Amino acid sequence: MPNRPVIVGAGRTKFGEHYEKQPERLIEEAWLRASEEAGLERKDLEACYISDYFLLITNKLGLEEGFLSELTELHVPMDFARSFSSAFSNACNAIQAGKYDLVLIGGIEKMTDRWDKIRDDLMLLGDPWSYYAGGTPEANHELMLRAYIKKYGIEGENLEKLNLALAQISVKNHLNALKNECAQFQRKITVEQVLEARRIARRPLGVYDFAPISDGATAVILASEETARKITDEPVYVLGSSSATDYLTFPAREDVTGFLATRLAIGKALKTAGINLWDIQILELYDQSTVMEMVSLEDLGFCEKGKAWKAIFESCQDYKGYYSINGRKLFVNMNGGLKADGNPLGATGGAQIHEVFKQLRGEAGERQVTSDKELKYGCVLELEGFGTKGHVHIFGRD
Amino acid sequence: MSSEPIERRVSYLGDRLRGRRCQICGKEYFEIRDYCGNCGRKSFGKMADIDLFYEKGRLEICTLVKEPTNKFTKLGNYIYGIVSFHNGKIRVPGRLTDKIIKDGETVDFSTLEGREVVPRFRRRYSVGKSDIIPTISLAFTLADEYYPHQEYVVVKPNKEYEAPGIVGYGAYTSKFRIKEGGMERAIPFIDEDAITAAVEAGKLALIHSGVDNSLIGKVYVGSESNPYAVKPIASKVAQVLKLGEEDEDVQGVDAVDTEFACKAATSMFKDAASLVNYPKLGIPYVMVIGADNSQAAPRDCPGGELDLFVGFGGCAYIFGKTDVIAEIEGWYSCTSDTPDFWRRDGEPYPMHGGRFTGDPAYFKHIRKAAKKLMERLGLQPSDINYFVAHQPNVQFPVRIAKELGFKEEQYLPSLQVAKFGNAYSGSSPIGLAAVLDIAKPNERILIVSYGSGAGSDAYTFITTNQITEKRQRQKLTVRYQAENPYLEYVDYTTYRRLKLGM
Repeated sequence: MPNRPVIVGAGRTKFGEHYEKQPERLIEEAWLRASEEAGLERKDLEACYISDYFLLITNKLGLEEGFLSELTELHVPMDFARSFSSAFSNACNAIQAGKYDLVLIGGIEKMTDRWDKIRDDLMLLGDPWSYYAGGTPEANHELMLRAYIKKYGIEGENLEKLNLALAQISVKNHLNALKNECAQFQRKITVEQVLEARRIARRPLGVYDFAPISDGATAVILASEETARKITDEPVYVLGSSSATDYLTFPAREDVTGFLATRLAIGKALKTAGINLWDIQILELYDQSTVMEMVSLEDLGFCEKGKAWKAIFESCQDYKGYYSINGRKLFVNMNGGLKADGNPLGATGGAQIHEVFKQLRGEAGERQVTSDKELKYGCVLELEGFGTKGHVHIFGRD
Repeated sequence: MSSEPIERRVSYLGDRLRGRRCQICGKEYFEIRDYCGNCGRKSFGKMADIDLFYEKGRLEICTLVKEPTNKFTKLGNYIYGIVSFHNGKIRVPGRLTDKIIKDGETVDFSTLEGREVVPRFRRRYSVGKSDIIPTISLAFTLADEYYPHQEYVVVKPNKEYEAPGIVGYGAYTSKFRIKEGGMERAIPFIDEDAITAAVEAGKLALIHSGVDNSLIGKVYVGSESNPYAVKPIASKVAQVLKLGEEDEDVQGVDAVDTEFACKAATSMFKDAASLVNYPKLGIPYVMVIGADNSQAAPRDCPGGELDLFVGFGGCAYIFGKTDVIAEIEGWYSCTSDTPDFWRRDGEPYPMHGGRFTGDPAYFKHIRKAAKKLMERLGLQPSDINYFVAHQPNVQFPVRIAKELGFKEEQYLPSLQVAKFGNAYSGSSPIGLAAVLDIAKPNERILIVSYGSGAGSDAYTFITTNQITEKRQRQKLTVRYQAENPYLEYVDYTTYRRLKLGM
């Protein structure tokens, strides 16, 4: 990738319920943290890229650019995207094209203000025909699990292990979030709690299998290589960034046991980055449910189709802080994932990038992972809708 | 507030599941597409229509929804999953309807997955009282239980008749019942109403008649429980069943609702017969439907006495002059202004006029109509094989049948009220359907309806040879629906909840 964009700063708010804060206040907080760290001022920014999935619906807030301009006294170009990854890709493109040298990407969502209608909104925007048929956000994940079990003929002892593996994903993500002061849930849960929640629900997945709804904001500052040299000695490069799309109607897709968009995006991203899949050590997955984390390991190519649950189950028998897949270490969702860190849609991708950025710079504090091999590459997978869009970003350091 | 343009689009595509198939590569799509994603521009104009309305699908995978999105909360718990058609070439999301899942009940999904399902036309979800009622066919019923899959095969007519008559019919009621005081009464599932029952009955009539749906020139729907004060049921029936010639999204058919309490449908039999008999009009077939989710106030409220008798169901008749199964021999109607039963505009439940019911109303009009018609045709009770009367309860039709001189074997076959309850506009038509289900050729049937307000229509029909030929086309006979092993009996609270609907 020529003229590699460089992340020079990242900041975020705590995820969770922020009923006392207006959406603009949240993004202000994230920006302040990122800019303070990078030693930058507002006037240094040449453009802003903002993302939110449905602030227009949840907070009746249109023209976010105007709010931000008013708040920041900035009059630079501002553009709007639906996901943090989309905004981030646009920013990368602009920097690569040489249009800007320093831009801000901000993500924001405030879902709890509309908690009573949020599931209707999510379904209607993400998969209207399924909504009309009576689908719920949770049902899609459960159907994917049922389809997975059927397709790969998983039964008996193996089925038990798969269900345990999914529970362990949630337990693992909660464990990771204990060390993340910005996480929505900083508490330990047990496999038994996850299983009990499923029993109470009498459904394949229970409350501990799903990411919550959250408020929060994230900010990432991106610079051209030349400008970055003046700001930081520890650049984290964007080596590859790609996305792909798939049908809106989940049941109509050819394969319902994974996400085509992820499979296409990772292929292109790896090619641009010029690295091998297994060079990646740090991975932030989009675990809206435990099933999503499992199938994403397969979609990205870390596990064979139909086998990820085995690797997870075995890794979690005696969890050492990483998934061990074919003898190789993979650090997954170190910030707690969407499950425990939180999932404010438009800001989520920013939290994922924030985590990889911090880990690669060795600034992740208590969460900092260490490996026998030097930590060099990280990867972020963000999905939109129920896999309607898949974004993969690959980051690396010198 | 639902958005009307979106509502119209969803209804157009979803009420009768439509798709397209690429005639080059064979790929199939749910929804209308003008070109194939695989073949691109060369496929333009080569996409064939797919109609899934009369097809059966397979429930591939499913899960339980206990916490639905807001508009679905009235449904309670339900099974939701992915349904495939054409060996998986088309896959759609779907809700399993006609299934009550109690709180605390555990569902073994593997007992449902892989089973055949039939798309049903149902209400989609709850909306505000002033909104358009959204409907869809992404609701499915298990095909191996109460509602079997039936193909719709258009049969070329082979015989012209002198007099018009019934060419085909269909009676429909749901699989839910309440059992009280020696009566079983049909209850709609929560997503059913008079509109869905009318469509269902019409669908069954098309299947039974083998008549080409595009040749139906007019459709009448008689009902007193249309969920709309203004907006016909008949337009929905015409659109969903594609009656008349289809031109873009408009059906070349006349459609109108009629109202005269319980005789709103039978009154139109003669109009239907006249239309198909009128030379140069070019209307080969006319459909008449009587459908009601019979209304009654809760038991302890004014008008609540009706709550012991009301049922649910629809019955459709197709009139024409080809391949007739029962020719119309004669008719007689009478009317008087009698306030025995009414419902004021804006009121949810009808009121009942106490002493005006019975002698000055039901008995007087049925007696008059039956006697006049028999007199005109010179018939004695012994000339009539079957007598069908309106059935508000068990006692009334039995009493009038006896009074008119009919014996048990003449009136009992039509007596369905103890199985279905009073289906209002569908009541005597369902009685007639029960008789047509079993009648032999060359038998005479006398039907006398009654509508409060008040009036009666009497008709005599004479069955033809073709009645037995067509019988095999209909699995959902009246008897099948009355004696089905999959009937589900519910308590009074559930009955009121289902009846009130979404």
